[in-house]
Amino acid sequence: MYIGIDVGGTSTNAVLLDDGLVKASATVPSRDDIITSLMEALDRIMKGVPAELIERVVFSTTLITNLIAEKKYDPVGIILIPGPGLSHVHYQYNTDTLFISGAMDYRGREIMPLRDQEIANAISCLSTKGYKKVAVVGKFSSRNNKHEKEVASRIKSLHPDWHVEMGHQVAGQLNFPRRVVSTMLACATRDKYSFFVESVQAALNRRGVEGLVYILKADGGTMPLSKVTGVPIETIFSGPAASTLGVQALIPPGETAVVVDIGGTTTDLALILSGQPLLSSRGAPVYDQLTQVRALAVKSVAVGGDSIVERVGKEILVYSERLGAPFCLGGPMPTPTDALRVLGLTRLGNAKKALEAMDMLGQPLGMSHSEVAQRIINMVIDLVVQEIEAIFKQWEQEPAYRVWEVLQKRKERPNMVVGVGGAASGFITQIAAKIGANPVIPPYAQVANAIGAAVAVPTLQVNLRADTEQGYYTIEQEGYQGKIEKDPFTEEDALLLAGEWLKKRAEKYGLNQAVEKKEFTRRDVFTMVRNWITTGRIYDISVQTPRGIIGHIGARGGFSD
Amino acid sequence: MAILEQGVGLVINKKTGLIFFPAFDWAISPTHPEREERLLYTRDQIFEEGVMDLPQIHEYAPRLASLHDVSRTHFCVPRVQSQVTEAHLIAAGSTLQLGDSVVSGEIKNGFAMVRPPGHHAMRVVHGNRGFCSINNEAILVEYLRRRHGIRKIAIVDSDAHHGDGTQDLFYHDPDVLFISFHQDGRTIFPGTGFTNELGGPGAYARTLNVPLPPGTADETFMYVVDNLVLPVVKDFQPEIIINSAGQDNHYTDPLGSMRFTARAYADFTKKLKPHLAVLEGGYAIETALPYINLAIILALADVDYSYVMEPDYWPGRFKESPEKTAQVHRMVEQLLESWANRDKVDIPKIFGVGKYYQRKKFIYYDTDYIEEEQIEKVRMCADCPGYIIIESRAERGYRAPVRIYAVSIPFQACHSCQSEAYDVYEQAKKQGECDYIYMQDKSTDTCITYEKDKGQEWVSEG
Repeated sequence: MYIGIDVGGTSTNAVLLDDGLVKASATVPSRDDIITSLMEALDRIMKGVPAELIERVVFSTTLITNLIAEKKYDPVGIILIPGPGLSHVHYQYNTDTLFISGAMDYRGREIMPLRDQEIANAISCLSTKGYKKVAVVGKFSSRNNKHEKEVASRIKSLHPDWHVEMGHQVAGQLNFPRRVVSTMLACATRDKYSFFVESVQAALNRRGVEGLVYILKADGGTMPLSKVTGVPIETIFSGPAASTLGVQALIPPGETAVVVDIGGTTTDLALILSGQPLLSSRGAPVYDQLTQVRALAVKSVAVGGDSIVERVGKEILVYSERLGAPFCLGGPMPTPTDALRVLGLTRLGNAKKALEAMDMLGQPLGMSHSEVAQRIINMVIDLVVQEIEAIFKQWEQEPAYRVWEVLQKRKERPNMVVGVGGAASGFITQIAAKIGANPVIPPYAQVANAIGAAVAVPTLQVNLRADTEQGYYTIEQEGYQGKIEKDPFTEEDALLLAGEWLKKRAEKYGLNQAVEKKEFTRRDVFTMVRNWITTGRIYDISVQTPRGIIGHIGARGGFSD
Repeated sequence: MAILEQGVGLVINKKTGLIFFPAFDWAISPTHPEREERLLYTRDQIFEEGVMDLPQIHEYAPRLASLHDVSRTHFCVPRVQSQVTEAHLIAAGSTLQLGDSVVSGEIKNGFAMVRPPGHHAMRVVHGNRGFCSINNEAILVEYLRRRHGIRKIAIVDSDAHHGDGTQDLFYHDPDVLFISFHQDGRTIFPGTGFTNELGGPGAYARTLNVPLPPGTADETFMYVVDNLVLPVVKDFQPEIIINSAGQDNHYTDPLGSMRFTARAYADFTKKLKPHLAVLEGGYAIETALPYINLAIILALADVDYSYVMEPDYWPGRFKESPEKTAQVHRMVEQLLESWANRDKVDIPKIFGVGKYYQRKKFIYYDTDYIEEEQIEKVRMCADCPGYIIIESRAERGYRAPVRIYAVSIPFQACHSCQSEAYDVYEQAKKQGECDYIYMQDKSTDTCITYEKDKGQEWVSEG
């Protein structure tokens, strides 16, 4: 039996799946303490189920999101080795940031050495200011980590108790500014995350759950809870990923669908293209700061069932703020939920109060309550439809760097609009009509996010870059750089090496069975020619375990594995 | 005052559009300079700097140009499909995408960092020359005119090699100003681009060439920019400025012998303020391109580029000889004079008084080993730039030579030139001497190809 739990901002959902069927589900209000909410929901669905039957538990939490949003972490000092390029005024992170000399180029060759005195000065400056956490990040450090390692070891020798995080170990993709933010956030959240993991483990042990425990990541993949070797910030924004995976499990395989998750104040939109959730081409933004966190492409629109509605002159406006519950549920202001109630599209709240709310808006304009209600609903729908179109357009406009990528660009339209979340049912039919798709509210739509967590599988990627002229290779996800032993080192060798590293990585995470299948998503070969002679090759290889879910809910014969 | 400030504010808020199309799966041949590796380190540099995330930058997806976009500009022999690959259509199409976005006001300027390049491709295309098959900038110019009604365009070519293809395409067009500064043609491919190449009778001095002595460095580069390029462009009052941004004037380029730096390229960009920069040559793929491309992007986006520097450069590294500098100064003076007198010169005295002005050209396709002989005639007309007739014969190894006859009607054509040109085309069909006969009518955006052997005609319309 599989368990999925989603700890959201207002409520915590849990499901128990047995052989592809939902055996139990529960919704409890979220408490300040995430572990309490988790365990409360867990206990509800485990009622009468022996703990030893639980094969695995996956949960998604707002832990990291909250830590960062509320800045509940110790300050992190930053030491940067930016070298030439963009002006340093671009590197501002609201914390003490020190720049030191030193530079690597795009092939990891040292073009400017470190200066001992500057390193010493930077460390003593951070020490004076009381920092005990430091992020050390160099430009092109994922091509050569020597400078970062040297600075980190200097810090460690002077201050063994400090927590130091190096850029090449957190964020190996090319993008120095994003690497800085990712490294800083990883540094800030790692110990809190470890503490959380230990508490969860202890609580589960007390209940006798011995199955595997995973945590959901923003890209819809899972990470074993026991291995804290991963990067905690990868678990940020796992909520929308959970809902999207849930929908993926609740609709037939291979469908193209828009997932519309309408909550109290926000509406999350995501795409499932031919059965596969769309990944964001770049890392997720975390409160205006761009990171390298791999995430599903989710668009948040600031409108929901509790958004306040006001009359301004002859206009009726929907605002992004929430001032409490809808009027029909005892709140202070009219909301879209009241409009739904008047039109008979929801049964929430008091019908009379809802009519009253519409009249407050409509009477001065001489509009009937149903006219007002329809106008409000139309405004919300127009906004959501506009954003859906924008997501598709953005997807079509993704850059392409290879001929085949340009040629395979396609236009795809959704067959279905799938509603999940509290207020979805009232809007989904009209949204679907506007974009010419079928409206779907699947069974268990209220707990789709918990289902998504329950069906999520581990995802592992390895990006290998080998430079035969320089004789070394790097593994982006591991921050590893090593010598190329073979000569000549062919494309075949590069593919094999990448495959080996994927296996190694799987072992590290205790996910050996996950790498039985693998797919290469990039295999670029660059012949290096200098003075008309081929001097080497650069291989750029990406290999990953197939993305997917355990199975579809209600599929005949249950889950396949 | 308030309105003015608002206007300035609007300009600052607009973004710089980028299309980066390194064609990582396309090469002329595995060891050719135009291979997959060419923009690899540029990719590394601009991605690592996070350039695409800058609020001043908007990255666009590449798109394909249509075959008609190509035939509106070129005579591809025998047809467009036989001369272009998808990569060519993407490079050209990306340039068109940025053109659309500039004209619509979505972006203030753009940089098409694309390959393959195009500035050696001439009006007639028998094959690839100077690594170019079709001319991205010229295709853009014809597209802007047809789609957006733009008339006057300035093209400044900063590649180390003379932009002979672009020159050929606009030699008789008074509404295109073409300025190319490059390494002296006596020392480098394609061996043209001298000061006496000033344009045809209807477009005199709208072509200006500045052949620079090998070893020319930033100071002289800036002298040419400040004293010739900027004042002439300003005087011409173009609606759109395009920069053919070749980067082989860099001091590390393996094919060129010039000594420009990345910083100077950025300074030039900042001064010229092109609406569109289009990457051309540049084969110092490690030592120059990552730095020049980054510097150009930052200059276009009005972002500080003073921290961009080649690892092996120090200020004052290159000294220029005073004699060479003085020689360039004299040349600039002479060109300024030609420009100032462009409408006063005695055209009949220079070009004769016949019905047509005619020139004979011998064109060598270095990449494909094709030799072409061409007679180009332009109708001397008082009311318009006149239509162009080209008779061309190309030999490739031991294969039978190909003969073509092509007629091009400019978009500004008068009625009598237009109808006369169609008579000429029909006449050529009847004579049956050439394998292919082409009509390119830019005034109605119609292109016709006639194949003698099949006795068949194909028409495409925009």
